[in-house]
Amino acid sequence: MLTTYAMQIIAAIRISFADRINFFLQMTGMAVNNGFFFLLWILFFAGFRSVGGWQFDDVCLLLGIIMTVVGIAGILFGGYRDMAAAILRGEADALLTQPKPVLARLLARESFAHAWGDLVTGTAMLATLAGLDATRMPLAMLGVGLGLTVYVSASVAFASLAFWIAGARSLARDLTDFLLLFSSYPGSIYTGATKLIAFTILPAGFVVLAPVEFVRQPTSGNLGIAAAAAIGYASLAMFVFHQGLKQYQCGRTPTSS
Amino acid sequence: MRFMPPTHRGEASFINVSASAFAAARLGALQALAAWPVLLGRVMFYLLILVVLAALWDKVAAEQVTPLAGMLPPEGLAIYIGVTEWVTLSVVAIERGFEDDIRNGGLEPYLLRPKSYLLQRVAPALGETMVRLVVLGMAGLAAVAMSGRPLPAPGALLALIVLGGLGCIVGMMLYVLVGLAAFWMRRVLPAMLIVQKLSFLLGGLVAPISLYPDWLFSIAKATPFGAHLYWVGVQTVTPSARLFCIGIAWQILWSMVLGALCALVWQAGLQKAVREGL
Amino acid sequence: MSQIIAVRELHKAYRRVKRRRGPLGAVRELFSPDYQTQDAVSRVSFTVSEGERVAIIGPNGAGKSTTLKMLSGVLQPTSGSAEVLGLTPSRQRRALAYGVGVVFGQRSQLWAELSARDAFLLLRRIYDQDADVFRRRLGELVERFGIANILDQPVRQLSLGQRMRCEITASLLHGPKLLFLDEPTIGLDITAKAAIRDFIREQSREAGQTVLLTSHDTRDIELVCERVIVINEGRIVVDQPVAELRRRFLSRKVITIQSATPTVTVDLPGVTRRASEAHTTILVVDTVRVRIEQVIAMALAQGGINDVTIEDPPMEEVIHEIYAAHASR
Repeated sequence: MLTTYAMQIIAAIRISFADRINFFLQMTGMAVNNGFFFLLWILFFAGFRSVGGWQFDDVCLLLGIIMTVVGIAGILFGGYRDMAAAILRGEADALLTQPKPVLARLLARESFAHAWGDLVTGTAMLATLAGLDATRMPLAMLGVGLGLTVYVSASVAFASLAFWIAGARSLARDLTDFLLLFSSYPGSIYTGATKLIAFTILPAGFVVLAPVEFVRQPTSGNLGIAAAAAIGYASLAMFVFHQGLKQYQCGRTPTSS
Repeated sequence: MRFMPPTHRGEASFINVSASAFAAARLGALQALAAWPVLLGRVMFYLLILVVLAALWDKVAAEQVTPLAGMLPPEGLAIYIGVTEWVTLSVVAIERGFEDDIRNGGLEPYLLRPKSYLLQRVAPALGETMVRLVVLGMAGLAAVAMSGRPLPAPGALLALIVLGGLGCIVGMMLYVLVGLAAFWMRRVLPAMLIVQKLSFLLGGLVAPISLYPDWLFSIAKATPFGAHLYWVGVQTVTPSARLFCIGIAWQILWSMVLGALCALVWQAGLQKAVREGL
Repeated sequence: MSQIIAVRELHKAYRRVKRRRGPLGAVRELFSPDYQTQDAVSRVSFTVSEGERVAIIGPNGAGKSTTLKMLSGVLQPTSGSAEVLGLTPSRQRRALAYGVGVVFGQRSQLWAELSARDAFLLLRRIYDQDADVFRRRLGELVERFGIANILDQPVRQLSLGQRMRCEITASLLHGPKLLFLDEPTIGLDITAKAAIRDFIREQSREAGQTVLLTSHDTRDIELVCERVIVINEGRIVVDQPVAELRRRFLSRKVITIQSATPTVTVDLPGVTRRASEAHTTILVVDTVRVRIEQVIAMALAQGGINDVTIEDPPMEEVIHEIYAAHASR
C-alpha cells in the first residue's frame, strides 16, 4: 500500500512541477507571505519582548513547526484540502470500484506547489531562529511528524462531515482555517474555554503546542502526550471516515449542489 | 444594414450604468444571503479570531513587560481588532472569481454583454461585501456587549460605518488588481497572499501602526493598506473628527487611484486576451 | 434580404512559446523565448443573410470556435475583416452585444444559488431594456418555454433541460437579431432537444432572427439549419444548403426491407448488405452504379416483402465523408 501511495503522490507532485514558472511563483509567493507574517511577529517582539512567558525563539519554534506541518501536508497529503468537495461531487464512486483504500487515494490525488514555500520557510525557521542546536533537531522533526499526523487527521475528520452534511465543503474549510488560526499563536494566551477548544475540537494544542512543549522539554511524559494525541486523532479520523464511507455506499449521503 | 443599439448609440448613459451596477449589487447581496452556511462560517471565524487576538493583547497589557505595553488603551485592543477584522473579513475574495474567469474561459459570457466586465463582477462583490459588513458588524457588537466592554457611542459607530465601508472598497480594489494579474500569472494566490500580508503589516490588522517606529508609521499610513484598515481602526483607539476627515480623504484618494489602475490593467489584460485568445 | 454577417479573408494566427526541456531550458525560455506561429483560421470568407439558420461544424480544433469568437468580438483577427449587424466586432463589441444573444451549452450564464427570475431582472438592466418591453417579452418566453413554475426555484435545483430553457430565455430577453448557439442541446434528452430545436426554428421564421449554431449533434443541423459551413484545419471546406450537401457528397441510399422470409438477396453490383436482424435486410445502394428501381424490383420478385423504406444516409456519414475527403487531400 505504501508503494502505491508513493507512486500516486509522486505523480501528483510531478503535475505540480509541470508548469515550472508557475511552480516557482507559487513557492516563492508563499515564502514571501510567510516572511511578512513573520515580520509582524518581529515587530511585535521588538515592542513587547514576551507574551505569557513565550519569547521570540519560542514563537519561531511554533511557526517553524506549523509551517513545516502545513508544507508537508500540502505536498504529500494535498488531497485533504478539497476532500469534502470531492465526496460531495460523488468522486468516491470511481475509487470504490478500485482495489486500493479510498482514503489513501483521496489524500494522494493532489500536491500543492505553494506548500513547498511553507516547507522551505518552516525548516529554515527551525534551523536558524528557533534556538535549536543539532541535538534538538531530531526532536523537532519528531514533533513535526506527530503534529502532522494530528493536522491531517483533523482535516480528514472535518472533510468526512461531507458524508452527512451537504454544506460541509465550506464547513470543512472553515474548521481547517480555525485549526490553523489557533496553531499560529503562543499557547500561553489560551485559557478556559479557548484552551479546551484548542486541545479538543480544533486540536491546535496537539498539532503544535504539545510538540513545542516536547522539543523544549523532551521528557517521556511530553512525548507520551504528543504521541497519544497523534494515535488518538488518527484513529478517530479513520473511524469517522469509514463510518461515512459506509453511509455513502448505502446511498444515504447528501448530493453536491 | 447597420444595427443601432436600442439606446445611447452603444454608449451606456450614467443612469443606465448605475442602474445595472445597483441591480448587480442587489444580486450579489441575495447570493450572499442564499449561501448562508458560508456566511455563518465567516461569523464563526470572526468571533474566534476576536477571542484569540483579544486574549493575546490582554496578556500583553497585563504583563507590561516593556513601556510600549503602557501605550495600549486601558481596555485593550479587542475593539480595535474587532473593527480591523470586521473590515478584512467583509471583503469578498473577488480575485478567485477573476482568476477562474480568465483561466477557464469564463470571461466570454461577460464580454458578450453590453456592460463592462468590471462592473458585472465588482458590483455583485460589493453587494456581498455590504451583507457581510452588516452581519459581521452585528456579530461584533454582540461579542463586545457579551464581553462586558463598552459599546461605541452612536456618533463613533457612524464614523466606523463610513470608514469601514470605504475601507472595504479600497480593499476590494486591491484584490481586483490581484485578480487581474491572472492575465499574466496562472495562479494569483501568491499575489493575494502578499497583498493580504501587506494589509496586515502596513494596515495594522493586529495592532495600530502608530505603535511602529515613526518612519514606518509615516510610510504605512500613506499606503492603500493604511486606507484599507488603519483609519477605521484608529477611531477605536484615538477617536477624533480630525482623524476621521483625514481618513476619509485618504480612502477616497486611494479608491480613485486604485479604481483607475484597475481600469488600466483591465484594458491591458483584455487587449492581451482578445489578441491571444481567451 | 440584408446581410447580417459578412466575413472576408478572415485570418487568425496564434504565436506560442516553444517549450524547452530541462531546467536550463526553462530559464532560457523566460529570457529569450522561441516562438512558433500556428494558423487557427485561414482566409475564411462567407456571408449570412437575415433570417438564415446556419450550422458551423468541424472536428475538434478545426477553427469553428475561433471563427465564432472573431464574429462576436472576443477575439481579434490577425487580418481580414468581419462585419456583424453592420458593426466591426473587434472594435464595437459592446454595441454589438445589444443585438446578439448567446447560448453556451456547456457554460451557464445564470447564478446557481439564485432563481432564473433574479438573473432575468439583472439582464434587463444590463441590456438597458425598457420595463414594459421586458415584462411583455418575459411573459411570452415564459409561456413559450413553459417555465412559469420553475422561475423562482434556485437554478442549481433545476434539471439540465429546465436550465437550458432558462438559458435560452435569458439569451432572448433583449430581442437580439442574431443568435449564437454553442452546443445548445448537449446532454439533453430527446424531448428537451426537440423542444429547443422547434423553438429556434420558429423564432427564426416568425421573428426573422438569424441563427449561427455549432453542434456535434447532426440532428441539430438537420432539423434546425438550412445551411452548413464545414470548417477543417482553419479553412472552409464546404458551404452549402443542407439538402444539397447530402446529395452532393453521397450518391448512396439505404434501403431497409422487412420480409416474411429470414433474408432477401439482391446480388447486383453497387449493392452492399449491412448486418441486421432476421427478417430485416439493410442494403446500401450506390445509385451511380445501379438504379433504385432495379434493386426494389429484384427484392419484390422474391416475394414475402412486408415493408420497404428508402432513406438518405444519416448526416453523420455525410460529415464523416467530408472530413475524410478533406484529410486525404
